[in-house]
Amino acid sequence: MKSRLRTLLIAIGSLALTGALLDRMRPADPAATAQRGTLSSSPGAGALLGWLGGFRALAADFLWIRMYAGWEQRDLPGTQTLLSAVVAVDPRPLYFWLNGARILAYDLPVWRIDAEGGYDAVSETRRRVIEIEHARLALAQISAARRVQSDSIALWIEQAHIELNKLGDTAAAAASYRRAWEEKGGPYYAARIYAELLKRDGRNSEAYAWLCALYPQLPRDDEAADAPLVLARIRELERTLRVAPEKAFRPELAVTVGRSL
Amino acid sequence: MISAIPTAVDLSGLTKDFSLGLRGVRLRAVDNLSLAIRPGEIFGLLGPNGSGKSTTIKIILGLLRPTSGSCRVFGVSSERVEARIAVGYLPEAPNFYRFLSGRELVTFYGRICGLRGASLAARVLEVIAWVGLAEAADRRVGTYSKGMLQRIGLAQALVHDPQLVILDEPTAGVDPIGAAAITELIRELKARGKTVLITSHLLAQIEDVCDRVAILDKGCLLACGAVAALSTEGKSSTDTLNAVEQAELAQWLSARGKTAAAIGGMSARLDQIFIERVERNRQQAEKRAS
Amino acid sequence: MNTVPFSLRRVGLIAGVTLHEALRQKLLHALVLIAAGLVLGVRALRDFNFGVSELKFIADFGDGAIAGFGAALTIALTAQLFFSEIEHRTALTLLAKPVWRTEFLLGKFLGVAAVAFTFCGLLTATLVGVLEQRQLELQVDQPDAWVVSHAVNFGMLWVAAYLHALKLALLAAGTLLAASFAQTQIFAVMAGGAGFVICHLQGLAQAAYERNGASLMTALATLIHWIFPDFQRFALPTDGGWTWIGLAQVTAYSGVYVGVALALAVRSFREREV
Repeated sequence: MKSRLRTLLIAIGSLALTGALLDRMRPADPAATAQRGTLSSSPGAGALLGWLGGFRALAADFLWIRMYAGWEQRDLPGTQTLLSAVVAVDPRPLYFWLNGARILAYDLPVWRIDAEGGYDAVSETRRRVIEIEHARLALAQISAARRVQSDSIALWIEQAHIELNKLGDTAAAAASYRRAWEEKGGPYYAARIYAELLKRDGRNSEAYAWLCALYPQLPRDDEAADAPLVLARIRELERTLRVAPEKAFRPELAVTVGRSL
Repeated sequence: MISAIPTAVDLSGLTKDFSLGLRGVRLRAVDNLSLAIRPGEIFGLLGPNGSGKSTTIKIILGLLRPTSGSCRVFGVSSERVEARIAVGYLPEAPNFYRFLSGRELVTFYGRICGLRGASLAARVLEVIAWVGLAEAADRRVGTYSKGMLQRIGLAQALVHDPQLVILDEPTAGVDPIGAAAITELIRELKARGKTVLITSHLLAQIEDVCDRVAILDKGCLLACGAVAALSTEGKSSTDTLNAVEQAELAQWLSARGKTAAAIGGMSARLDQIFIERVERNRQQAEKRAS
Repeated sequence: MNTVPFSLRRVGLIAGVTLHEALRQKLLHALVLIAAGLVLGVRALRDFNFGVSELKFIADFGDGAIAGFGAALTIALTAQLFFSEIEHRTALTLLAKPVWRTEFLLGKFLGVAAVAFTFCGLLTATLVGVLEQRQLELQVDQPDAWVVSHAVNFGMLWVAAYLHALKLALLAAGTLLAASFAQTQIFAVMAGGAGFVICHLQGLAQAAYERNGASLMTALATLIHWIFPDFQRFALPTDGGWTWIGLAQVTAYSGVYVGVALALAVRSFREREV
């Protein structure tokens, strides 16, 4: 009996020591940390089953399929619940976060308005309230996604879309497009749209300064960078701002320096 | 100068206790056993069920650790892996990997014992032929009869040419013809200078081949010595025949067309000795207990 | 006196015969067939018609089949192959030869690990075949919906297979540890199964001790977190995020725990009376 106890204690001690040492060498995993915090909000045993590695992706997929079935039936509460469950079970795929946010922002308001009588029956004010409410839910979803996918460009782009299209908040959308551009590998169009939104807000000087700083960073042989378009917009702003010819932007002096903004 | 030849097996004060249950009740399977098996002899280990024979064998093989005392095989402690280089073992009612053929099985054990290449292949052929399984060598072991299993078991025990061969009930469940063949193989082992340790319940076979025997009961050694010496112990020499005389008598009878029925009484003698010793031991144990 | 040093050759021989025996087990055949059937049969779910997302579903379904059936196979096989040696007393014959008990256990482990790696490889190859075919079909059927980013990353599937195999090797070592002192096969299987669940859920224990202040439960949660390896580490990192260094770290993590589990199993098995 004593020898068995001794053997058991040695086993526990060895494994615990191993785990403690390996734990210290473990890099922080934001996905895992974020996920542990969301488990408590997940409905039912499905989340627990989904926790089992190798099965949670599958469990999330099944929940997503169930959500789609409810989406087809315009089941608002069911769809909303399952959207939360899916990302709680498996927060890794960006697909769930983005499409979930889109459903929240674009589809659910339409269902609610239809449920209240349709676009003809519901007042403009009431429609606005509903759309803003769901846009904020979608933005909260994106914010939660960023805890797991902190450097995702797609999340900033989606946020910008929702801020612009649903909230009509040009300033916020501009800031989001700028954040998208500033991420490593950010798309050139995000930088261009940022300037356009500044213009829309009447901040032409800022837009002009931005584009002049942007142009030297654009590779001339990259179609996506579309340097000629940026130059055309610079000239347009010079006309709007009545910039003197001698102070106009001179592209021939702009040396391609790569991204610095 | 005479160099010291280590005994094949040297048990000294060997004791083995097993714990039963959580309360640690101890069962003494082997009790202060001391005996020595000489190189080149055939030694029989006898005893009723539960007498400690299997436990003793397992200690010699290093499969169990003694609670106290020591066990050495050719001078090496049985607890060391090195002690098993010189040992070949045929277990009781042997079971082998059924999915291997006889040849593959013996080759596997030969490789385990360190044999390689051409010498391994030659040795495998040799032992398989020696045990009479050459024709069945490529059949799966799972298709073997009991007798064939015993033979292939003997082959795997001998593939690495050990000095000590331990046979646990080698003829149990085998028909008389098969048993006789195995007995003959054992004699051949001795002729080749091997030391053989046999356990068996078939006392007639034991006394036919063994040079010396030990009788165990409840873990204690009751008797140890040459079969003939044990048989004549306490009796006048005119009442019994020793093994050599027995063989001569059998030859004389056979030359005259007679059977060996006259020797039947000799076989019974070892049975009697066995029963008498065990019974005496138990009576003494009961007296001590009361 | 001749010495008998530890021999990898003997370990390999024992691993070989263990693998040979494993490949003859009907349990292995049944689980491989069922898992492969599920991977092939998932194509029937195309009726859900969720377009290119179907590829992700097929990949996840196949991944789940490999994980689930792989775990069942590993636990059952490890216990079965160990106890069959004890019950049929083939271990007796083998250990009566000049064989270390360490060599015996290592050989058993390597035999099972070989089966686990083969299982993961075989099913992943099946999954890759199914996905490749479906991807081609979708590119033809839905050219408008198809974008390059929807394409399956087959490299990731093989990385996932490798991670599964590492996890199964760790599971085998843990089950072998349980078997080394267990008296019955069913105990070893149950211990392996319990270990599988705990190792997956021990993240909850970690969350508990990170959130709560000092307490007995926190200490217990911490102990559980340290004793049981974290199987979440063997999940693929967030989209497209695996690196060679990351793989090396997970391999080392698995290797250390396997080493400790096997060392404890050897210690326990040395005391076992065969």
